[in-house]
Amino acid sequence: MSGRDTDGEAGGDAADGERAGGGGETEMNLVTAVNETLARELHRDEAVRLLGYDLGPIGGVYRATDGLYETFGEDRVIDTPLSENGILGTAVGMAMRGERPVPEIQFLGFFYPAFGQFMYALAKMHKRSGGALDVPVTVRVPYGGGIKSSEYHSESTETFFVHTPGVRVVCPSTPRETKGLLAASVRSDDPVVFLEPKKIYRGFEEPVPDGDFTLPLDEARVVREGGDVTLIAWGAMVRRAETAADRVDADVEILDLRSLSPIDVDAVLDSVRRTGRCVVLHEARRTLGLGAELSALINEYALDSLRAPVKRATGYDVHFPGHQVEDAYMPDAQRAQYAVEAVMDYEF
Amino acid sequence: MALWSERRPSDDFHRVLAPDGSLVGDPPELGDDELKRLYRSFLQTRRLEEKLLRMQRRGEISIIARSLGEEAVALGSAAALAAGDWCFPTYRQTAARAYWGSPVDRSVASLMGAETETVNEHLPPDEEGEGVVFTPPYVPLTVNVTNAVGSAMADRFRGTDTVSLAYVGEGSTSEGDFHEALNFAGVYDAPVVTVCQNNQWAISVPAHRQTAAETFAQKADAHGVPHERVDGNDVLAMYEATKEAVKNARDGGGPAFIEAVTYRRVEHNTADEPGVYRDEEEAEYWAERDPLDRFDAYLRREGVIDDDWVEAVGADVDAEVQAGVERAREVPESDPERMFDNHLHGEPSWTARHQRAELRAEQRGENPFTDFDGSGL
Ligand SMILES: Cc1ncc(C[n+]2csc(CCOP(=O)(O)OP(=O)(O)O)c2C)c(N)n1
Repeated sequence: MSGRDTDGEAGGDAADGERAGGGGETEMNLVTAVNETLARELHRDEAVRLLGYDLGPIGGVYRATDGLYETFGEDRVIDTPLSENGILGTAVGMAMRGERPVPEIQFLGFFYPAFGQFMYALAKMHKRSGGALDVPVTVRVPYGGGIKSSEYHSESTETFFVHTPGVRVVCPSTPRETKGLLAASVRSDDPVVFLEPKKIYRGFEEPVPDGDFTLPLDEARVVREGGDVTLIAWGAMVRRAETAADRVDADVEILDLRSLSPIDVDAVLDSVRRTGRCVVLHEARRTLGLGAELSALINEYALDSLRAPVKRATGYDVHFPGHQVEDAYMPDAQRAQYAVEAVMDYEF
Repeated sequence: MALWSERRPSDDFHRVLAPDGSLVGDPPELGDDELKRLYRSFLQTRRLEEKLLRMQRRGEISIIARSLGEEAVALGSAAALAAGDWCFPTYRQTAARAYWGSPVDRSVASLMGAETETVNEHLPPDEEGEGVVFTPPYVPLTVNVTNAVGSAMADRFRGTDTVSLAYVGEGSTSEGDFHEALNFAGVYDAPVVTVCQNNQWAISVPAHRQTAAETFAQKADAHGVPHERVDGNDVLAMYEATKEAVKNARDGGGPAFIEAVTYRRVEHNTADEPGVYRDEEEAEYWAERDPLDRFDAYLRREGVIDDDWVEAVGADVDAEVQAGVERAREVPESDPERMFDNHLHGEPSWTARHQRAELRAEQRGENPFTDFDGSGL
């Protein structure tokens, strides 16, 4: 019961491997990559429908859906009432009937009113129907701090989603990754929470393949190879990891997790078995942040390879602070560097 | 055909002052001093928001949401409260605070990004407790409305005659929380008044996309909550309608809902450009219905105020705003460690102590990750 694909591509196969449709590349930033990918998916498959408040004439508060309402009309780009639970619940219902909705929740900090629909329907429908019903819904959610806004506009609470079975959680770190992962998410027959790092929406540009382009949804990406320490990051933290790696006196392997759920455990263990050290860098609070799970996995399955304890360079266990002190909350390249240096200096 | 699919809402509502300031109903019984206090609060709100806008443009504060042209909603309704009542605002009721003398310095310091603990330390709140109690402004929409209902239920249980009042935007009435709040209010006869500040836009979404109902007031019907539609640009009508609702609630008559019809003449907040999604000519139509101009014309005609008085009060509020901003500027940058404060009572947990020590080390330029046995840094 997947969506009505217009060009004969089955919904699920995008997750099978990297695919580019050929052609050139265009430099663009991350939010433009979101926009282009949504336009492409709306064209490709008439079951794709965007929904959310402020998606229409304004084109989203971050302009991620700029121009799409004009191009595709109000039944494809649906400007909704101000109701997160309504948005998610109706998206699930549409998906049960063969649509392929792509709802937007304006900020991660305002997702919580939709937790009822998230837990009861989105994440559970496939299982409850014994696999008979698919809910191919991709929920786009801008997340993360460092934008000098207020608490609820800066949170990074991916753990809530990762802790819930039955839903994929995907988080791109560059414009190219955004295109490949968003297209694959929309085409996936699973529900996906797609976390967009708004801090770097306009942070930088890079070449993005012009044609049809998807990336696998359950493979981590080796950003750079190294032999001394594995630095795991995702979203906006990947760039900070790269800066830290440039600065430290160690050969750092950077792993961009990309899929936060399910985790590409093989990639994590392979890397750590080679380097013997690991640092996890994330914006989220530390307790039960994804770093805790990664650390546990490494401890359970790669203890023999470890030359130092796994360290977590993260946010603190506090509510996201006001903008005067947010820089002190946010993990930056310096914090990542300290953690890398600490595990490099450690001796059993 | 629903009213909201029209360009402008019906003016089938309670009104005392016509847009030109002439009386079209019986004015509430307010003495000259009370009328002047309303006027002064109006002016203070405008001057404060103008000042904040300049500060925002200079980068001194991050984002503000102005209420220009909508002030009468918060002002008239808040003025109908009494000392000891509780008020649950969102970000768009500057005028309610102005009326109750809520200090400018504290709100400006918060907008400058200071942690509340720092603000409390350097600009302690009034301890006298003589006014209305304001909760911190709510940012997550409609969360305040259920809280206000609970607050009102607490008053009923205790037999106190305090009233709770919550504000909600018309867009926010689409949230489930809104209906849950009104339902509880009805079922428990809670002494709570909910004022819907219908400024017809929720960022870019117009009111007619929020509901197929003819009015927002109507939404209260399903919950058995009495409701009234009021001209939100008429401060006297707002005062009158809220006064009646508050009195009724105080006397054990249960909840009420007021839809105040107004218009968001300015941007949603300073990050927004309304020209992208709406016809800005509408704002001109509403500028002609400005709530302060209307009140001004009325008071002059009644001989309550004149040029000299207005000028003097203008200078007075400017000085007050300026002094408040100066005091806010003198509040030192928040110590990053403040972020750990006020999470749990009692002794800080192991985690809180260790993470705080890490932050402190990092601030000193030391490696915070050198603790490998849990003994601390
Ligand atoms: C639960 C929640 N969802 C989304 C937002 C983001 N947001 C802030 S203000 C706003 C529009 C509110 O419109 P309305 O209720 O009409 O009030 P107004 O701002 O016009 O006074 C939105 C969507 C939020 N603050 N909280």
